[in-house]
Formats: sequence, structure tokens, C-alpha cells
Amino acid sequence: MTTAVKVMIIGFSFAMLLVSLLIGLWAKRKVKTAKEYFGGTGLFGPVAVGLSSTAAVASAFALVGVPGLLYSTGNAMNFWMLSSAAFAMAYIILGKKIRAMSEIGEVASLGDISDLRFNNNRLIKGLMSVIIFLGCIAYLAAQIKAGSELFNNLLGWSPIVTGFIIFGVLTVYTAISGEVGGLLTQAFQGLVMVVAGIIIIVSFFVITGGFGNVLEVVSKAGTITAGDVSKSFGPDFMNAWGILPKSVAMAWVIIPILGTVGQPQVLTRMYALKDPKDMPKLGLYAGLAHMVVGFFALVVAYGALYLVGIGEIDPLVVADNAIFAYADYLGLYAQLFVYAAVLAAAMSSASMFLTLSGNIIARDLPSAFGKEFKSEEKQMKVAQITIFGIGILSILFSLTSAEMVAILGTFGWGTLMSGTFPVFIIGLLWKGANSKGVTAGLLLSLVLNIASLMGMAWPGALPWYVNVIAISIFATVFISLFTKEDHMNEKLDLVMDL
Amino acid sequence: MDIQGKRTGIIVTIALLWGAISVLGWYEMYMPGLYLGVLLMFLHMVLGVSVNHKVSRKFLIFPLIPWAVVWAVSFYLSNMHANIFTGVMPNFTILGFHPSFSWTIILYWIGGMLTLTWGFMIYKDEWLSSSDWDEFKRKVELIDQGQEGGM
Repeated sequence: MTTAVKVMIIGFSFAMLLVSLLIGLWAKRKVKTAKEYFGGTGLFGPVAVGLSSTAAVASAFALVGVPGLLYSTGNAMNFWMLSSAAFAMAYIILGKKIRAMSEIGEVASLGDISDLRFNNNRLIKGLMSVIIFLGCIAYLAAQIKAGSELFNNLLGWSPIVTGFIIFGVLTVYTAISGEVGGLLTQAFQGLVMVVAGIIIIVSFFVITGGFGNVLEVVSKAGTITAGDVSKSFGPDFMNAWGILPKSVAMAWVIIPILGTVGQPQVLTRMYALKDPKDMPKLGLYAGLAHMVVGFFALVVAYGALYLVGIGEIDPLVVADNAIFAYADYLGLYAQLFVYAAVLAAAMSSASMFLTLSGNIIARDLPSAFGKEFKSEEKQMKVAQITIFGIGILSILFSLTSAEMVAILGTFGWGTLMSGTFPVFIIGLLWKGANSKGVTAGLLLSLVLNIASLMGMAWPGALPWYVNVIAISIFATVFISLFTKEDHMNEKLDLVMDL
Repeated sequence: MDIQGKRTGIIVTIALLWGAISVLGWYEMYMPGLYLGVLLMFLHMVLGVSVNHKVSRKFLIFPLIPWAVVWAVSFYLSNMHANIFTGVMPNFTILGFHPSFSWTIILYWIGGMLTLTWGFMIYKDEWLSSSDWDEFKRKVELIDQGQEGGM
């Protein structure tokens, strides 16, 4: 890559960073109350919320890790990336109930909804907050690492310097403008990902001539070797299941589709929507944006397979470099958008998980321990300092503890599901869910998540988190079933019936 | 369709389905696991779409049942074509894709969007009508006023 190209990529990426900073600073003026700062509650229309939801769900893993997995194991991961209908499903299941909760009490965080549903039960709020915090920190560290390494690979810059420049700016605007700035910058970053996706999808057809040619090359290429690196191809790569155990493909259908409703980045967006009757439009806009991003990941992987198969590029030493190898082959226009899109994906998810973890530390956990702030201003000030502190610590942690970040990387989507399903999905769909059942479900989820982190083995090839989610739901339902129902106030009763 | 009295049964079924899917996954029985997965999602949506314990028949007829059928058929066809062409290049393609994967594109991805997302748009009032929402807010307001009056 020439110096001129590198300068243009840096310029393009930093322009995106600057626009994000300006949006964050502008958004600060819209934040007047703690409810707006922490939750952006009832402030936004379906376009902004839809783009931001897609951007927050599609992390750097979606654009870097997924093409890498498709390149090395075939199509199974496409079930995850083509799960665009999951947004409509999530809103059908829980959209009106989550939004309605913000009409019966002050809702600015997930902990507030837990309080309203389970009569301010501190143990439930505390356990749920700890599990969500674990998932958030795992995601946050992974985004910082991915974003910093992107520029380290490209320019040879120190990851610490890059991390502090990019994620330092992100931490500043997130701390200043809270969830309002977070949501608007994510919407902008989502738009960058969609535009990049459209450009790369069009270029895929120009380069390969279509999917038929990719199928033929991958089916017939055999084994390609360059130096010490070999890549074996075969027709089974291109069937629906790929070459992994098929139970993995099964998990990658159920977990992303049903799991979308249990992701904090989707749940919090349900109460950020101004008019709950716009929820179907939100499902459409988020789904369409996700379709482009999902197909983007697919064509990048197919493009890399095709280029390696016909000998245009060498087999990849690291499968996760598929997106960069493909972009570098396409040339300047693709490089500009691909590098910016990966940065946008990392930044949007990082800001989401930064505000979520800030809210947990500054708002939900203190109240779970009985600490109340005297004024909204004081609470927002504490949150700003907390977000700033978590941001700096996460940058240092993610760039100095590579092994721990890799281990934490297995946390995330499934961990977040296991922390939210007992409280919100079972809790809001069933009046019979009581505090004993939900506490037991959360406690088991926390213990099993940590045990799995420490290497606990599970039967079969199924990803471990499927077992943890199933056990936590099982405990929530059956313990609730055989213990006394909680008292439910009239307003909560109305929400449950809505 | 009235589901009052059936809600607990549906939730218990959901818990049992999670258990069954996990066990099927341990033993690589992925096809029954996928079909049960569709049922699991369907039951969540039935609970989500209900208003005052009533599930709209219209919403069941479209989009919920067609979505479930489209996805179940997608998995069946994907598996059938994967088995037919195991280890060999298929002798035909659909839209250029391996026939097995084409069903993921056509039915799972696009079909999922065209049923669930589109159906949700056109039958949104069956999920939450303006009058349902206004009535909910009015009742909340009445309760708040009652509480203030009682203070």
C-alpha cells in the first residue's frame, strides 16, 4: 500500500471520527435530565433508532470475525449474519411492553425496568447488572482491541497511541452527551456501514461475475499453497451448513434470532423510540440496514475465497484478514470505505457498551446497594466521571491483557441473553414469573458463565452459552411455578396485559 | 384466540423447548432442534402479540404461520440439497448459489423479512392499535390521579 493511499485512509477514518465527535458535542445540548442522559427515553424516531440498533448489534466482529469464519469454515455463520428478521421478531415479542414500562415509572436504564417489574428487588437488579456488565466489558474490550489493531496493522502505529486517540475521543463524547449522543453517533456510524456495504456488494459482482463463479472455484480449487500457508477448498463449504458440526449451525440460527430481543443494545432502544406505534417501522429500517451489513460480510468472505481460489491473492495467514485482503485487492475506493466501516462498527458498539456499563456502575449497582443520589445533576456528574474512567481503564486493559481479552471474547451475546431473558423476556411475558424464580435463574446464569469462562466443559459441540441460557430459563420458570406469585400493582398489570 | 389460562402452559413449553433443543444439540440432532427452534420463536411471538390475552387471528394467519412454514421449509430443503450433493459440486445452482445455501438466502433471509417484517408493518394495529395505546395511557393516568387524590 502506497503512502498516499494510507494518508487517504487515515484522513477518511479520522473525518468520520471528527463528525462523530461533533454530533456528540451537538447532542449534549439536547440532554437536560438524567432520564435523557441515561436512556434517551422517548426522544427519537424510527430511522435514527433503527440505524443505531443495527450499528450497535453489528460489532467489529460482524465485519472482521464473521468473514474470517466464513472463509475458514463455510456458510454456517451466515445464519447469524442473515438474521435480519430478528429485529421485527424482537419488537413483536417485547417492544410494546418495554416501551409501556416507561409510561408507568421513570425508565432510563434496564435496572429501572427490573425495579418496576420486581418491586425494587435489589438482588435481581444487582445480579442482572453484574451479568450485563461482564458482557459489556467483554464487548467493549474486543471493540477497542479490533479498532486499535486495525491502524496498527495498516500504519504500524502503537496500539496504545491509536487506542487513546480513537477511543479517547469516543469516551469524551460519550461521557459528555450520554445515551443521546451515543444513539445519534451510532446512527451516523450505521449509515457509514450501510454505504460501505452497498459499494462492496456492487464491486463483488464486478470482480467475481456472480455467485455461480464463486461456487465453481471453491468446489474445484482443491488445495492452494503459498509458502507455508495452505487453504483447502471443497463443495461442502458452500452448502448451508458449511464444514462445522451441524449443531453449531443450529445454535447460530436460534441464538442470534431469538437472542436479539435479549440484547441490551436492542432493549434500551425500545424505550428510546418516541412513539411505540412506530415499532413496526423500526423493525423495517433496522432490518433493511442489517440486510446490507449482513450481505456485506457474506460477499467479502466469498470474494476472498474466490480470489484465493483463482490464485489472485495468497491463502490468508490469518482468516480474520479476509476483509482487508479483499479490500486491498479492490483498490482505493474499497479501502477507504472498508476501513471506515470496520472503525464505525467498532466505535458504535464500543459507545453503546460504554454507556451501558457506565449506567450500571453509576446508576443501577449503587441503587441495588441502597445508595440514592441527592440530585439528577449529581448523578449525571458521577456517570460522566464513571464513563470516562471505564473508557480509559478499558483502553489500557484491552491493549495490555491480550490473553484475558481473548478469553472474555467468548462472553458477549450469549452472556447478555442469559442475564436478560429471566428478567425481561420471561418476566414481562408471564405474570407468574416471581422474584424467587428470577433470582435463581440469574444466580445460575452468573455462576455458570464464570465457570464456563474458567474452562468448564459441556457436552457435544454446541456453543456453551446455549446450555447456560437453557438452564437459567428452566430454573426461572420452574421455581416460579412452584413458589408464590409476587404482588403486582395495577399499573404493572396494565403493561403485562398490553 | 383467547390465551388467558394458557399462558403458563406456553411458558412451561418454552422452558421445556430450551431444554430439548440443548439436548438435541449435544447429540447432533440438528434438524429436530431447528424445527423446535421455530416453534420456540413462534410461541414467544404469540405471547408478544397478545392484547388483553387475545391473540389476533389475522396476525396468526399472516405473518406468524407463513413465517414458521417458510423457515421450516427452508431448513428442510437446505438439508435435503446438502445431503444430495455431499462432497460433490452440485449440477445446478439457484441464483448462482449452492442449492442448499440458496434456501438460506431465499426463504430464511428474504422470506423471513417478507413475512415477519412486512407482516408486522401491515398488521401493526393487531399488535398495538392507537386506541389500545391511548386506552392504556388513560388508565395509567386514572390510577395516578387516584393515587394523588388519596394522598
